[in-house]
Amino acid sequence: MTAVHRLLDDAFAGVELTAEVQDLKEEIRTNLVARAAEIEAAGTAPSEAARRAVDELGELHAVIADAAGTMEPDAPTGSRSSPVAYTSTAQAVLANRVRPRPAFVVSLVIAAAGTAALLVLIVLGLSGVLAAPVGGLAGWVLGAGLGTGWIVGSSLAQETTTRHPAPAPRAAGYGLAAGLVVVGLGFVGVAVTSGQLWLTVLAAPSVVAGAALFAGLGATQTNRRKAWFREVVSAHGTVGDRFDRDPQAAARFGILTVVIWVAAFVAFVVGGSTLGWAWAWLALVVGWIGFMLLLVRMLFGGHER
Amino acid sequence: MIHPSQRPAAEEAFSADLLRGHTDTIVLATLRRGDRYGFEIYKTIRDATGGTHEIKEATLYATYRRLAKDGLVEAYWGDESQGGRRKYYRITDAGRAVFRRNVAAWVATRDVVDTLLLTDKEPRS
Repeated sequence: MTAVHRLLDDAFAGVELTAEVQDLKEEIRTNLVARAAEIEAAGTAPSEAARRAVDELGELHAVIADAAGTMEPDAPTGSRSSPVAYTSTAQAVLANRVRPRPAFVVSLVIAAAGTAALLVLIVLGLSGVLAAPVGGLAGWVLGAGLGTGWIVGSSLAQETTTRHPAPAPRAAGYGLAAGLVVVGLGFVGVAVTSGQLWLTVLAAPSVVAGAALFAGLGATQTNRRKAWFREVVSAHGTVGDRFDRDPQAAARFGILTVVIWVAAFVAFVVGGSTLGWAWAWLALVVGWIGFMLLLVRMLFGGHER
Repeated sequence: MIHPSQRPAAEEAFSADLLRGHTDTIVLATLRRGDRYGFEIYKTIRDATGGTHEIKEATLYATYRRLAKDGLVEAYWGDESQGGRRKYYRITDAGRAVFRRNVAAWVATRDVVDTLLLTDKEPRS
């Protein structure tokens, strides 16, 4: 197979071997070896097989130039013309805008209202404000799980301006996982408050299965962003909020949020019990102002680097 | 559909340009059943056309690069095997969505062209 290597070196002669070019060369090499082996198996001499495999490749110049980044802007790279260049992010969004389907929006609102109502009933039932039998509570929990699952699944299956719809099985999987977790947690609540601990037997597998399903789906999740959106992101790098681009900022935000609210709450309790409750709520207001300032600073603040 | 044995003329009339115009969708189609490396994709296309037509490998490399850039496929280097490490391609959710859309567009276009050319009314000779 040395002939393949030599012929390939010739094809890449004079091209600067950047990591990307090296990657392409290596890919072509392994494919060439496979093709040459196929020709050889049909009864051709190794050197002749290598030469034929390389000849069959076709014109490599364009793709090598593309990998090396030395291509003229309007050079043809294949069957499709290069995508439109957008002058601004706003223009790109307008050009690719996808409106949600009215039927989906209506059903989503109904499902969300129904699920929210069920969740309120469950909380009231569990806290004892509403006297509800265990069977009724379990029914509400199942309903809330069904609603949540449907909302999650059908939302993922929708095409949006920036994302392609998730394939139906994957969307259904996420919906099922969300439903299982809600039902499981609901049953745990019912089991604990009603003292009917046998319900945990139903609850635990549901939560575990839901979490496992989430983990599996998350680990195998692939790109859903649209090409234009990826293009704009790589060109301008300023699409999406700061937390999308800078996970460290998101982590800092999380920590500072906890610090602010814990401090505000401690000030509220300490102030309330020592100075009186009439003005203690001001501590929470200050906390809220601090939180909003932090949010603004984190989302729209300049780059530190 | 190509029937080289029954209609030898169809082989010459076969529009390679038309085939090439759908390279992206064809590659996505071969990846829908599972991850493949370049030569496997090439072979699948070649075998599907009865071995008489092919899309040049150089064209396919340009296609892989474009599909990866658009986020429709993901590339990864496989484990060591005979012939060295291979670069595999995996279709993404975005790729599946684009594939479905392109197939729908092709079916609609094909129906319109069939109607316009009256191929469905003409008796086959």
